[in-house]
Amino acid sequence: MRLVIARCQVDYVGRLTAHLPMANRLLLIKADGSVSIHSDDRAFKPLNWMSPPCWLIEDPGMWIVQNKAGEKLIITLEEVMHDSKHELGREPGLVKDGVEADLQKLLAEHVHTLGEGWSLVRREFPTPIGPVDLMCRDHAGASVAVEIKRRGDIDGVEQLTRYLELLNRDPLLAPVRGVFAAQQIKPQARTLAEDRGIRCVVLDYDELRGIESDEFRLF
Amino acid sequence: MKIRVERDGLADAVAWVARSLPSRPPVPVLGGVMLDAGSSDGDGGDSLTVSGFDYEVSATVGVPATVADGGKALVSGRLLADITKALPNHPVEIAVDGSRMTITCGSAKFSLPTMPVEDYPALPNMPQLAGELAGEIFGEAVAQVAVAAGKDDTLPMLTGVRLEIGEGKLTLVATDRFRLAMREFAWEPNETLSETAVLVPAKTLADAAKTLGGAGNKVELSLAANDGLLGLSGNGRRTTTRLLDADFPKYRQLLPSEHSAAAIIEVDSLVQAIKRVSLVAERGTQVRLEFVDGGLRLSAGGDDEGSAEEELPVEYTGEPVTIAFNPTYLLEGVHAVRTPKAHLSFTTPSRPALLKPVDDDGGVAPGYLYLLMPVRLPG
Repeated sequence: MRLVIARCQVDYVGRLTAHLPMANRLLLIKADGSVSIHSDDRAFKPLNWMSPPCWLIEDPGMWIVQNKAGEKLIITLEEVMHDSKHELGREPGLVKDGVEADLQKLLAEHVHTLGEGWSLVRREFPTPIGPVDLMCRDHAGASVAVEIKRRGDIDGVEQLTRYLELLNRDPLLAPVRGVFAAQQIKPQARTLAEDRGIRCVVLDYDELRGIESDEFRLF
Repeated sequence: MKIRVERDGLADAVAWVARSLPSRPPVPVLGGVMLDAGSSDGDGGDSLTVSGFDYEVSATVGVPATVADGGKALVSGRLLADITKALPNHPVEIAVDGSRMTITCGSAKFSLPTMPVEDYPALPNMPQLAGELAGEIFGEAVAQVAVAAGKDDTLPMLTGVRLEIGEGKLTLVATDRFRLAMREFAWEPNETLSETAVLVPAKTLADAAKTLGGAGNKVELSLAANDGLLGLSGNGRRTTTRLLDADFPKYRQLLPSEHSAAAIIEVDSLVQAIKRVSLVAERGTQVRLEFVDGGLRLSAGGDDEGSAEEELPVEYTGEPVTIAFNPTYLLEGVHAVRTPKAHLSFTTPSRPALLKPVDDDGGVAPGYLYLLMPVRLPG
């Protein structure tokens, strides 16, 4: 990661032309080759940038960043105030707050939210193509596979459909019904799920966590 | 099929059928409208039947038509509704040739692809007749109650209106946990019908009651509780809907038996005042009602955003009290009493309040109530 603070002017020549007049700015040259020009505002969004693959050609007083489409970012440097390079090492990746795993755990503890008299068989129930989030038995003892998502979209329904297909080949489990549980379910996903006989359940994370909303309610 | 039909009748019929069609049909034919010419058995001379069905709701309506050549055709409901609505005021000629339907009206001409009739599901038969209701009474009662039904389907039982058929009366109830609306009225059901209660999807029921219950019309209610089907017909239109298979909460115990304070408020001025002050209540947070002897001060907002207040004269009995409500829920309740004045009674700012209609003599009119949970006052 190379940081340059410089007084510069930037011209972009490509599908359109854009011009940034002479001013003090932060230039980031990242290990992937990308170059971005930041001002002292707008959080993560650069004023202009070139995504990799691209090449930086450094001439005194003028840098040219070019990609294979021939688009150019021409940076005219008047004064370089800072230029340093740091090795950041490997990025461990963004860890989301684990809501999905948490939902799975919470729902496993409160299976009855899916239906009266339901019980949990196990979490992460194995199938040949990966584990399904929850395997439950309903009040009548029939198997139900539950796929849990934070945001329920078509992909999740497809995933559950594949699990169900494989689970239903097991004579000890079949028939296995499906429940698609998510904090929010997209209308398309709902339509697809219901068409396949999969029940959709919208989960209330706060309620599962036992944080009842403090709103007054009739019951 | 080759028919000629009046534009207005056709447009109304198609629009009414198409409104109950799903916006995202899982199978394309379920988004279709079936036109059936000449095969209805001549009840009332309707010779074109327009119908739609998506396994949840079915709708059928007859339109007088001149049939040159009978037959059935299935076309996209939404498209047909848009087309018929936009047609000029001339007789409409509809002809089906092969897999295309031609619609000619004045100088406008449309050609639509048809869908295979064989793939279309059979519409459910009307269940057994449960009784007749005056259209306007039924329409009003459903509108008064359906307003309190839940909109999101996290809890399916809250998205329905409960219909209780009792001895000599019909009770309609709906609740979304924040409010509960109940309407009761005298009704003589069909003798063969025993006391029963069913849960009908609120949106479907509200739509049907509104369109079937025109002035002076009779609405026929028919019920097959075991098959989970409710039928409504009137005004030449028939609709069926699947019942919700869920337990409605035990609501009778929620109804307060007593109150310590009550106000009689003029509905119009209250509605206007709520609308004005709640302009500063961001996203409908709360509107506060401060009752003092002989007056009501409405206020909303706070120091951070804007604030507003307005005073109204009211007949108030009880200790001075401040109680806050969600302005939308309060407005819907005040609208739903359907009388010029409303009776609001409550005990404490954290217990449910009760809105009831007021009759011409200034007394509480029986038959309707709107139970509303207050919202927490700041601090």
